Amino acid sequence: MDWPSFFQSIANGVLIAGLYASVTLGLTLVLGVMGIVNFAHGELVMLGAYSTFWLFTMLGIDPLLSIAITAPLLFLVGIFVYRFTIRPILKDPPLNQLLLTLGLSIFLQNLAMILWKTDSRSVITSYSGMSLHLGMVHVGATRLITFAISVALTAVLIVFLHKMRLGKAMRAVSENNTGSWLVGINVQKTYMLAFGVACALAGVSGSLVSTIMYTYPMVGFKLSLKAFCILILGGLGNISGALLGSLVLGLTESFVGTYVPEGSGWAEGISFFLIIVVLIIKPTGLAGTRRE
Amino acid sequence: MLKLKAIDINYGDIQALWEISLRVEEGELVAIVGSNGAGKSTILKTISGLIRPRNGSVEFEGKRIDGLAPDRIVRAGISMVPEGRELFPRMSVRENLEMGATYIGRARAQAARSLEHVHELFPVLAQRAGQLAGTLSGGEQQMVAIGRALMAKPRILIMDEPSLGLAPLMVEEVFRAARTVNREGVTVILVEQNVRQSLKFAHRGYVLENGRIVMEGTGKELSENRHVKEAYLGL
Ligand SMILES: Nc1ncnc2c1ncn2[C@@H]1O[C@H](COP(=O)(O)OP(=O)(O)OP(=O)(O)O)[C@@H](O)[C@H]1O
Ligand SMILES: [Mg+2]
Repeated sequence: MDWPSFFQSIANGVLIAGLYASVTLGLTLVLGVMGIVNFAHGELVMLGAYSTFWLFTMLGIDPLLSIAITAPLLFLVGIFVYRFTIRPILKDPPLNQLLLTLGLSIFLQNLAMILWKTDSRSVITSYSGMSLHLGMVHVGATRLITFAISVALTAVLIVFLHKMRLGKAMRAVSENNTGSWLVGINVQKTYMLAFGVACALAGVSGSLVSTIMYTYPMVGFKLSLKAFCILILGGLGNISGALLGSLVLGLTESFVGTYVPEGSGWAEGISFFLIIVVLIIKPTGLAGTRRE
Repeated sequence: MLKLKAIDINYGDIQALWEISLRVEEGELVAIVGSNGAGKSTILKTISGLIRPRNGSVEFEGKRIDGLAPDRIVRAGISMVPEGRELFPRMSVRENLEMGATYIGRARAQAARSLEHVHELFPVLAQRAGQLAGTLSGGEQQMVAIGRALMAKPRILIMDEPSLGLAPLMVEEVFRAARTVNREGVTVILVEQNVRQSLKFAHRGYVLENGRIVMEGTGKELSENRHVKEAYLGL
């Protein structure tokens, strides 16, 4: 057995899982709190990535520092999107909500194509080429940093949801709407803020994405599909499931890429394959829980 | 303290309440009784802001509160123990109770004392503090729902069929709690199908039939009334 490439595959899989998790968290938050599947979440990530790219090329702002701009920026975009598109359809049947967010997704993709063309852009920093050797494996500095930021982001979100008043309100709303109103939570406002926070998470993910992938109009769509695969793997609407699902997808992609002939091509499509397998074998997700 | 004036409520094309007028004075324990589908829950949901009346008004201490969202009404001092309890099933008993005080400024400052008070009222909740609310028995869940409403330090406590589906011993306990709370100065509105018990405890009561108030009187008057005896007490 070729141990170095085995461990390398594990490292690659785990590192990319961090990024996938950060993309999936926002999706999970909106699904958990509002019961809405936001197909446009990936496009919000894409907007975050473009913001980072332009901040870097035009103002020379480091992509990781630009998180301090993309998060609040996307938060505001989220509030705007919520106010004018999501709020009017909150009481509508799920199918209508689904079509709306799908439409929003396509709209934002096309907007990006018109504004910024279909070129693939990349953010190359002074540290982009650096890599570290840890025993048998070596990992890129940017991958390691994005992973660390994703882990930190997840921890912050968990603390927020369990310790802060607003975070607890989001959990309450996800569990019981009427009960939330009756303890004095403004459920409408909580929806808006949850959507805003999810978009801020998308902004952070976007900044991270721009450092390790090409930024182009469809990058969000590609990530969305992976995030949906993760949701299905992990069981809908809970954070631990999202983390587990991210690991499973990251590792599967990485191992397929390494060990299957022509694997790097297959790896990109493996998420669809996993969706089908899980839906057939264990429709409640690997974690076994599902929002009712 | 609380006045409903000529309230009409519609669900779609169907009218559920017809010109409901009632009043509740400070310190009273008022019962609203009636059979299934009479409109009892609809009245309570109107008071707590979960539904809005088509016509009529709700006044609390001289100010109109109809049209306010439920969170504003809780903050104004009216808490509800809803039909079906509406707890947070994946939060612990303790968290559920704390949530009752978290979003109301003046209650938040006193949360620790209120929690002790709830534990005195329902000692079993102290033993179950760490258990997920969704795994409690029906009676225990009802206690959490009452406790959660009390954590908000309400001036008026509204209870929608708190005894529904409970074993006789639990029913006793819930009624006892309602009376204790009332004696401590909280105004209580109690909706019940358990007509005998609730009229025994109540200062005054209203009888609701098909969305209309058909009778009003002291608890004693109503429980001695011939129609009430025949229709609700099976005498
Ligand atoms: N959401 C709703 N949509 C349509 N009709 C409703 C709705 N809620 C209640 N109703 C109708 O309004 C009437 C009054 O209902 P309500 O729940 O107030 O009765 P209730 O007196 O509380 O009955 P119960 O003792 O069974 O709880 C019933 O005929 C009921 O079918
Ligand atoms: Mg009812």
